[in-house]
Amino acid sequence: MLLALLFAYGVLNGILQGFGIMPYLGLTTPTLEYYTEALTRSDLISSILFSLYVAAASSVLATMGGVTLSAVITRLRVGRTGRLASVQIPIMTAHTVVALSVISLFSGSGLLARVLNSIGVIGSQADFPTVVGSSQGWAIILVYLWKEIPFVAFSTFAIMGSISDRFSEAASSLGASPLRTFFAVTVPLSSPAIAKSFLIVFAFAFGSYEVPLLLGSTLPRALPVLAYIEYSSPELLDRAHAMALNGIMSFITLILAWLYLRIIQRERRGR
Amino acid sequence: MELRNRPLTRRQFVEFAGLTGVAALSSGALWGCAAKSGDSGSAAFNIDNADWSAIVAEAKGKSVSFYGWGGDENRNKWLDTTVTDALKKDYDITLKRVPMGINDVLTQLSGEMQAGAKEGSIDFIWINGENFYSTMQNGYLYGPFCQRLPNFRDYVDANTEITYDFGKPNNGYEAPYGKAQMVLLVDIKKTPTPPSTAADFFTFCKANKGRVTYPAAGDFTGTAFISCLLASAMGADQWKKLTAMNANDEKAIRDLVEPGLKYLRSLNPYLWKNGTTFPADSGTVYTMFQDGELVLHMTYDPFGWINDVKSGLIPDTTQSFILREGTVGNTNFMAIAKNAPHKAAALVAINEILSPKIQLSQYETLKTVTVLDVSKVDSNTQAAFKSVSLGKGTLSLSELLAHRLPEVSGGVITLIEKLWTSEVVGK
Repeated sequence: MLLALLFAYGVLNGILQGFGIMPYLGLTTPTLEYYTEALTRSDLISSILFSLYVAAASSVLATMGGVTLSAVITRLRVGRTGRLASVQIPIMTAHTVVALSVISLFSGSGLLARVLNSIGVIGSQADFPTVVGSSQGWAIILVYLWKEIPFVAFSTFAIMGSISDRFSEAASSLGASPLRTFFAVTVPLSSPAIAKSFLIVFAFAFGSYEVPLLLGSTLPRALPVLAYIEYSSPELLDRAHAMALNGIMSFITLILAWLYLRIIQRERRGR
Repeated sequence: MELRNRPLTRRQFVEFAGLTGVAALSSGALWGCAAKSGDSGSAAFNIDNADWSAIVAEAKGKSVSFYGWGGDENRNKWLDTTVTDALKKDYDITLKRVPMGINDVLTQLSGEMQAGAKEGSIDFIWINGENFYSTMQNGYLYGPFCQRLPNFRDYVDANTEITYDFGKPNNGYEAPYGKAQMVLLVDIKKTPTPPSTAADFFTFCKANKGRVTYPAAGDFTGTAFISCLLASAMGADQWKKLTAMNANDEKAIRDLVEPGLKYLRSLNPYLWKNGTTFPADSGTVYTMFQDGELVLHMTYDPFGWINDVKSGLIPDTTQSFILREGTVGNTNFMAIAKNAPHKAAALVAINEILSPKIQLSQYETLKTVTVLDVSKVDSNTQAAFKSVSLGKGTLSLSELLAHRLPEVSGGVITLIEKLWTSEVVGK
């Protein structure tokens, strides 16, 4: 309860700061100035697009990978150890740890570049393709996939397991191939779970700052990174800018939350 | 999910009510504590009227927290041993070093000030530049205090750059800690002729295509290095004009800096990843330099890097150099939080760090340039300062100081960082 109050205070304070209300700096009149500035800054559009692109790419790939992984687990009846290794352990590793491993593996002076260099595949370290710091966000997407594929699998395989037993036998007795059964029966029946985990992965990738901060390029910067840079600026007034950026980010996330609720409602009605 | 659609059961209601009660009680108790300790502190001792011996007496037996960047292992060790031992022995003060990036320190300080805490958790802070300026503007610092410190009065020449921090007068709200200056590093075994002018530097980047870069603006070292290149490309006189300018003159600053930005853009095609992206911090650049992916590194610690040669992190053929047009330097400082719980101990600790003994030790162990006017200390200490050997490959102190340029003020720095982001990266 205390925690909830503290949280609510923090959120409220953040919203107020976005409208320029910071009593300790003598600012008490609400203003839209910071939102206008945030919305008109030259790097905002490219930043939003970059964040949306990274979120979309990683959630689409994570969903495809996760559904596949889930199908493999249910079909092959992977046991507890297998699930632990393929699902639980990746989910438990912190994103920053994965990000640092990506740096030491895929950066220009990373392990892979050195190995390729020493066996003569690439001429010098500079020839190694840009993964870390690339403006296509490869490294960021790679980190999200490491954790989000198992996450999608985790949230779908319970449902998938219960479906395959009952319906796929029926389908295959009617002559459907395993692949056909999978796409015609299993996927549609587990689609609400898939859609929900897709949205969660999307919202997470859109709003998280530490991975793009560590692995992103100088330009374009992800939206949360922009907000973080403004927030940590020594100029306290910049916090209003940060909060305005957070407001924009929250608005986009709210749309995702609304979609999520729609799916749950439809699911309830369907029952 | 389920809870929301159902009214609370009786048990849940009791739990809820109980928790609210506990929360209310405990927050009440917290308020009580804060109020009590605040009162006793101010009633017992009035620091503003105390003379030095009273301050030393008040500080005895206290522990004092020193917040600051903790990324330099050598400095951490020096603070934890030399400084901590001296304070314990001479004044019975326990120094608690809290390693924390300055942005986080400011977040904590402003958070505590906003919450109205009469006694915060921060005593004194390692601070510099715009960070200092904004905290002073917001009234988060205690002072002015410099003139109260015996060692400041006796050994610091207050008519020098020490009264200014990034072009802004510090009015005695921060005491100097050490002097820094930007130098560049190369391994002369790989690149035998380091560049000595801005034009040379361009040729150097061209000759080592893809193997030179610098940290993005916003990183402390990155911004300082960009300042150096801008100063070199614009010329020292134009740069000095810039240091006298106010951030409000946005148009004039833009026009003045444009030749420098043009120079930075001309470097891009020859930089790492063609200048489309830059490492986010100087630590990354240093790792890449150590790994041989880059042939050039830059540091604000003009002599301190020699310690890394000794520990084998970089080869002993490493050499430092500067561009002849000039290299920026600054002084870094210590400031006391307005709501510091142990102000007397903080004053004594800062005074101790300003003592010839500790300043000499800082120069010997960390090779940090002293903030004292060496001609004012006794002859033995003077001789000791002179006899410190800086190490192979370093520039002489006089060579450095002869090419020293001031940093521009905080607001102008922010503008330069923005200009770099919008008009140099990938252009």
